[in-house]
Amino acid sequence: MSEKKKYQFHELYLKKEWSYQTGAVLLALFSLALVIVTGKSWGVTGPLGMWGGWILSKLGIAVDTWAGFKATPVASYDIWKDLPALTNIGIVVGALLAVLLAAQFKIKKLKSIKNLWAAILGGLLMGIGARISLGCNIGAFFTALPAFSLHGWIFWISIFSGAAVGSKLLVKYFM
Amino acid sequence: MAEKTLDCLGEACPVPLVKTQKAMESMAVGDVLIVNIDHSCAMKNIPDWARSVGHAVEIEEVAEGEWNIIIQKMK
Repeated sequence: MSEKKKYQFHELYLKKEWSYQTGAVLLALFSLALVIVTGKSWGVTGPLGMWGGWILSKLGIAVDTWAGFKATPVASYDIWKDLPALTNIGIVVGALLAVLLAAQFKIKKLKSIKNLWAAILGGLLMGIGARISLGCNIGAFFTALPAFSLHGWIFWISIFSGAAVGSKLLVKYFM
Repeated sequence: MAEKTLDCLGEACPVPLVKTQKAMESMAVGDVLIVNIDHSCAMKNIPDWARSVGHAVEIEEVAEGEWNIIIQKMK
């Protein structure tokens, strides 16, 4: 018996990629479930900003005097009470689990120094952008749509036009 | 019939797809392009694109998290 026949369930449900339709339906259901279970709107970069502030405060920088940390001071931050932060950890653990179950885990080699700079620069720009606009594609889109918030649709139009311009720039200057 | 290999290991979307599209332009009908990838999204968007323009596509898993996409130019 071939490997594929022998492990049919594994092949079909854990290894082969799911269709966009399956993904869309599951995302919608989980998005709803998340609001019901946590009672909070989930955002990824909010907790990341708090973690960054926490690290800086441990290095002796008084971040609580900064305007960005006035509402929720780092000094009183408790990660175990921050449900969006726990969701962030959950998504990383879940993604790792999925890739291990599919037997597709691989530590990728760095291809070139150019890619290293692109990653650092891209990460910085995304981080700054997400914090200035108070949300990434989770907080401003995934969480906004089931709440019937108009800003999700505006974000949707903006991110598509941004991605269109970005890929043109990528092809022109980076490849 | 020529055969060409395109190394896209360590590269993320949409770079492998754009490189594949560029490489296919310079190939003749019947030629085969083998794209090495280790980015699972490229395993979806490269075959999707190649099939949509009418090329023959096969995916081969070469190691954990590493694939070869074999594309034969059909027109």
